[in-house]
Amino acid sequence: MQPILKINLNSREISEYIIPTEWERDFLGGASLAARLLYPFLTADLDPFSPESPLLFLNGPLSGTAGPAVGRFVVCGKSPATGLWAESNCGGFWGPELRFCGYDGIWITGKADSPVYLWLNDNHLEFYDATTVWGKDTYESQEIIKSEIGVHGAHVLTIGPAGEKGVLFAGLFCDHGRTAGRTGLGAVAGSKNLKAIAVKGTKKIPLAQPELFAPIRSAANHALKEENLSHLFHDLGTASVVDYADYLGSMPKKYFHNGVFETVEKVSGSTMAETILAGTSACHACVIACGRVVRLEDGAKRKGPEYETIVSFGPDLLIDDLAAITRLGELCDRYGMDTMSAGGTLGLAFHLFEKGIITTKDTGGLVLRWGEVKAVEQLLHLTARREGIGGYLALGSRRFGQHFGAEEEAVQVNGLEVAYHDPRAFSGMALVYATSPRGACHNQSQYFLVDMGQADSNIGVEFYDRHAGAEKAANVARHQDWQTVFNALVMCIFANVPVETVAGLINTVCGLELGMEDLFLAGERAWNLKRAINNRLGLSRENDKLPKALLEPYPDGGSAGYVPPFIEMLEAYYTARGWDPETGKPTPQKLAELNLEWVAQDIWK
Amino acid sequence: MAAIFPSPEWLQILSDKLNSDERYAQIAKNWESDMCVVITPSGPLTKQQFYYLDLWHGKCRKTEILNDLSSVQPKFVLTATYDNISRIMKGELDPMQAMLTRKLQVHGSMAYMMRNVPTVLDFVRCAREVTTEIL
Repeated sequence: MQPILKINLNSREISEYIIPTEWERDFLGGASLAARLLYPFLTADLDPFSPESPLLFLNGPLSGTAGPAVGRFVVCGKSPATGLWAESNCGGFWGPELRFCGYDGIWITGKADSPVYLWLNDNHLEFYDATTVWGKDTYESQEIIKSEIGVHGAHVLTIGPAGEKGVLFAGLFCDHGRTAGRTGLGAVAGSKNLKAIAVKGTKKIPLAQPELFAPIRSAANHALKEENLSHLFHDLGTASVVDYADYLGSMPKKYFHNGVFETVEKVSGSTMAETILAGTSACHACVIACGRVVRLEDGAKRKGPEYETIVSFGPDLLIDDLAAITRLGELCDRYGMDTMSAGGTLGLAFHLFEKGIITTKDTGGLVLRWGEVKAVEQLLHLTARREGIGGYLALGSRRFGQHFGAEEEAVQVNGLEVAYHDPRAFSGMALVYATSPRGACHNQSQYFLVDMGQADSNIGVEFYDRHAGAEKAANVARHQDWQTVFNALVMCIFANVPVETVAGLINTVCGLELGMEDLFLAGERAWNLKRAINNRLGLSRENDKLPKALLEPYPDGGSAGYVPPFIEMLEAYYTARGWDPETGKPTPQKLAELNLEWVAQDIWK
Repeated sequence: MAAIFPSPEWLQILSDKLNSDERYAQIAKNWESDMCVVITPSGPLTKQQFYYLDLWHGKCRKTEILNDLSSVQPKFVLTATYDNISRIMKGELDPMQAMLTRKLQVHGSMAYMMRNVPTVLDFVRCAREVTTEIL
């Protein structure tokens, strides 16, 4: 691997960190390697907003190559939203461009005296005064910074006003709408007075066996392009699943309380394709191009919403106006806020308003009526500016609920808002949300796709009924390990690439000889290391739970009447994982199996 | 009635089933599309087979066994090996699972397909119900 560039924003000290070779083999890269690198620094007493708090941008061994859907990078640290492990990966072109500079990552510590942005041109780093862009939205910031540095082809990763103001679900944004949205790392960057990092490189990515890599990646890209799912995502975006998700009852409505929304077809990927779609967009070297470009009534082309944003600002708030959803998503992107957590937190506000727990006295006169786009828009402005009730919304749904004495109503796990794939439709998601290392995340395992049918016996991930219970627990763990490999590479989770191809790509890029079980072991190792990090940060078995709403049956829709047998599933999951059933910690034996025995002294002392 | 899959008799009985099944008629009432199922050789099947069905508003207007796709331009072409499509007919392989795991290739309007997943699934139910034996 290439070095990591370490930058202290206080002292402006710069150094290169060489990654130990054995860590490359054991953790591969991306979020897994970040967990190994950051382990010593993520302590219970670390304030995520302190200068000491690390912010690590890391690529994987395939990032930036011409492999299948490998244009992503990850940002890691300690989450101000959850107080736990934070990781958030992002597409676009910024990650590959960083590798073209000759670095596989950037490791930030410290806090600048005043707002700065960094400009990395190959291996030449400069600090720029960010006073002129502080307060600008993410789209404006990218344009201003590109103009100031004046180098064609530079890519800018930036925070928006929400990150500057410490909104706990602020993210980092690049390439007009590509986001590292979850876990609040944009606010960590803001706390460091770090507005943005611009990169432009001219170097080649090192490949151990380029002549062997080329045919594998070529065949992999051709095969991926012919996949049904790739066709689906190319033609309709991730919103393609809206219709089917509605049919199965997996798409939440009215803040996870309704199974039916009569006009839901108005917000589907099919409808988007037939109405406002003007084109597609792709990340670096991606053959899928799931990104949407839409044209609204003003005639301007803009980013179209993907599935999570559509549900977040659509059916979950009882909104069926695709143009309005597009604009609300863009508002979040411009402020620099995660649409999933933003929509989820606003959903709680509407829910509590309906229940009479909050009133117009709390909202500053705003009436929160389901389906009211203007009220949603107003709340987003207040949140990003931390004004009025927005000061509490900016803290996320758990803290918002706590403030109003209704934490149990918040649909979140460990401080991260639940993604929009309901465990009452796909029981496997119950375990995914409860045990994900970063809170209720769907990208640590897209098990909803397995529950839909994307099982693969070749990798030991079998197909179970979507409402099966404890018998699928080991299967969920297996799939989490596989997705952890993807998050290490960092490969897009939409790339349905066979395991032998993945192994071939890694081996020819890194000069390794890894087989399928080596990859799964690497995935399991990183999953357990992230668990141990969280155990050190105070996470225990009590944290592995689902919010109340997800354990109450839907009254109607495709999953009416069902709730997952969560306790039985969790027991079986602990057994499958080799975790202590009392504490939820990986046992010393399990840690030793994974060559993580050095962790045991910290979590079992 | 039931029939051996795949065969001309099977296609005719499936057509009769689609034209008499009330549940299918209700679920597929808005479906307006023809399709061709292409069965590629595997197992005992040595020659590619083409089964054409014209489906319209919950009914089957026409079926035909073709030599190839040169004479028709169906809105959907579904392609699978004999082994995989047999497993779907026997209920061993879920049709969505087949679609998501490279076992059933779909060419056609994805927008239309995703809007009508219930119709597709009920079509498969009807096909399964008329299939008693596999070649």
